[in-house]
Amino acid sequence: MTDTDDLPLKGVRVFELGIAIASPFCGKLLAHFGADVLKIESRMSPDVVRILGSAWLKDREDLAPISSDTSPYVSEMNASKRSVGLELKTKEGKTAALQLLAECDVFLANFGARALAELGFDYDSVAAVNPNIVYVQLPGFGSDETMPYYPFVAWGPNQAPLVGMDDFTGHADDPPAGIATIAPPDYMSALHAAIATITGLEQRDTTGEGVHVDISQFETTLALLGPFVMDYDLTGTVYSRIGNRSIWGAPQGVYPCTGNERWIAISATEAEDWTTLRSLVGQAVDAEFDDASIRNADQDRLDEQIAAWTSSFEVEDLAHRLQAAGIAAHVVSTNEDLLHDTHVTSREWYQVAPSNRLGRDVFSGCAVKLSATPGRWTEAGPSMGQHTREILSDVVGLSDEAIDDLISAGGAFEQIEPDMVATRPWNDWIHLLVPGTEDARDL
Amino acid sequence: MAGPYSGIRVVDTTGLSGGYATRLLAGLGAEVIRLESPDGSPLRRLGPFAENIEPPENSLWWSYLAMGTRSVVIDPQDTESLMQLLTTADVVFEDQLPEKSALPAGEISPTTIRTKILPFGSSGPKRNWHTSNLVAWAASGILYTTGFTNRAPVAPAAPMQLAYHASAASALVGTLLALRSRRMTGRGQEVEISMQEVTLSIAPETGVPMFMDDRVHRERTGNRRDLGRPFGLYPCKDGFVSIIVLMPRHWTAMAQWVSEATGNESITEEVFVDNAVRVEAKDLIDDWVEELTTQGTRLELFEEGQRRGIPITPVNTIDALVGNPHLEAADFWTTTHLQDDTEVTIPGAPFRSSSPWWSMAPAPRLGEHTHIYLS
Repeated sequence: MTDTDDLPLKGVRVFELGIAIASPFCGKLLAHFGADVLKIESRMSPDVVRILGSAWLKDREDLAPISSDTSPYVSEMNASKRSVGLELKTKEGKTAALQLLAECDVFLANFGARALAELGFDYDSVAAVNPNIVYVQLPGFGSDETMPYYPFVAWGPNQAPLVGMDDFTGHADDPPAGIATIAPPDYMSALHAAIATITGLEQRDTTGEGVHVDISQFETTLALLGPFVMDYDLTGTVYSRIGNRSIWGAPQGVYPCTGNERWIAISATEAEDWTTLRSLVGQAVDAEFDDASIRNADQDRLDEQIAAWTSSFEVEDLAHRLQAAGIAAHVVSTNEDLLHDTHVTSREWYQVAPSNRLGRDVFSGCAVKLSATPGRWTEAGPSMGQHTREILSDVVGLSDEAIDDLISAGGAFEQIEPDMVATRPWNDWIHLLVPGTEDARDL
Repeated sequence: MAGPYSGIRVVDTTGLSGGYATRLLAGLGAEVIRLESPDGSPLRRLGPFAENIEPPENSLWWSYLAMGTRSVVIDPQDTESLMQLLTTADVVFEDQLPEKSALPAGEISPTTIRTKILPFGSSGPKRNWHTSNLVAWAASGILYTTGFTNRAPVAPAAPMQLAYHASAASALVGTLLALRSRRMTGRGQEVEISMQEVTLSIAPETGVPMFMDDRVHRERTGNRRDLGRPFGLYPCKDGFVSIIVLMPRHWTAMAQWVSEATGNESITEEVFVDNAVRVEAKDLIDDWVEELTTQGTRLELFEEGQRRGIPITPVNTIDALVGNPHLEAADFWTTTHLQDDTEVTIPGAPFRSSSPWWSMAPAPRLGEHTHIYLS
């Protein structure tokens, strides 16, 4: 393991009951900055990322036993964590988990509040074995069992429409396009969880007191909508989707370029942007649009004329022309574009780290960069139960015999055939895409 | 209430890019100073605006994001006053590259934490590029996959300015880590956020890691996702509901509900418990589910679906939320006062803690606190 001596979260041990994204994304961030994050896993009710598996493994019967270690989400959301297989629904597993919790600094979970309480890991139960714990939970609707939506269930992509984000997405005259492909509430809740965790650790380290933080994803996401709530209260105005336009000026939009499905995003909403844009578009846009009030009032026609102008350009070329002149613009990037984007790769956004099961694995880096105490990745995502024995032995202090007994009683499990390994199809050429990565032939 | 970051002085020179971060810092007890030019923060020019209040005090973005902070006006030419203020700061929030910034390029003091939120970061071929909420989504791969195939792709929840808020929240995480590190080492440092990387960090589900696994070129999928079925928006009597069924227990409940409501006997067949089979047969599954959803309203489907343990929610607009029974019971909404003393509803704290962490005062008038800091 890389030395963590200088990292801001050195010595912090996190007990994480995470599924999918909200809690795992937070745990990955904490692990990057030096925390020892223990992902507690169950075979009886596994994290959905363990169920999803990998596309290239679909027809590989021989590798079916290790499918749970192969979803790209495993590393994407759990890099640098350790995996502990503990069945919390068994008496033995729960006892071991509580012993482990007594040795942790942070409890982090995004199980539903009711599921967490039924498992016996609500705040009061955890504080009973670790009174100074920093306990951070991210249930969909809060942990107060007297509240109407307490038992309700929702994934991140269900939270977005609930607070109005899906209605905000799409062209004005279309049905809501929704945010089908990503789940902003998960990530925003995760960032708030990281803020709460660090704040809680500071409080505990300076006053000795732990804390219980309840992050209702419903409420956290709504906290991002302040101005719209205020305007509704004051005037009854209900905002809805406006395509890619800005509520603050025109033009702003996504326009076609040469080729199939090649689009450019342009924001030129300030007065000086227009002067610059005019010097580029020349006569392609009517002179009357030099009047800002006409730009705002007749955006349909303005967008049509800009689209007619952009459609003769190659997209990458136009993005560079616009940016060189000082206008915010970018290719509407595909994944293929991003893999070959020299800006993204020069900043080493995609990371490669050793993987117990896959040799090595790729995952996204961390958007938070610190100059003096940069984070580090020790490993890609763990295989399920990879660290059960070492943690029960080193942290809880169980003997090998006691661990064997726990496993045979069904309270804990270790990874399947530790030496069974696979290699991702891209393994031979990943060095071409992620600079600094070793050529597989030299490994 | 003192708040966990009381005693920490923060100078925020940003607009929208850092606004949500310093709002949270103020709520958590820090002394946050918004450094404004004589014509005011760029946030003050963002509508919607309150009627009956004159600029520059009428922006609702300012009134929300600047809550609990202090306003100090310094003329851009007055570098002496600027340095006087900056040298007392524990944290400085910035959004300009060093060569374009009015702030010193070198060290302010060995203990200062400088948090920089930049469009594409401080290095790399696009370091000088400009951005916006839209451009940040375009650079993430998310914009390309959002929307219907017959129209141009669209940014997620464009009016919300999420790319900025996510960048601000990421910047706050880095700032708090740097403060913790400073408490242990006595040294300040720089925190850097590239807005492009923040949107990339939100992109995994549609982005490069999944693409490298399946090598499938992604197109817009409308308001549904092929990760599961049902997954996405389904029409009902008064709009749409969002249904996401991935887990076997959720499917069992969903199939039972469709079967009871529409008399569909095929849907409960064992073969459909396999999510991969349902995705294969997505058109059929969608038709069956729509036979159910088109019978009810958003609220009816939400309540009955949740009673059955299914992840289903209504596609709401803001009017359905103010007055929502759960938020009312949870006492979520609170109020603030505008400059003409109008009381207005706002969202409450973004999270709840057992220690008294959160408190908020109204947003300041332009230059309200200048005299306190510049003598």
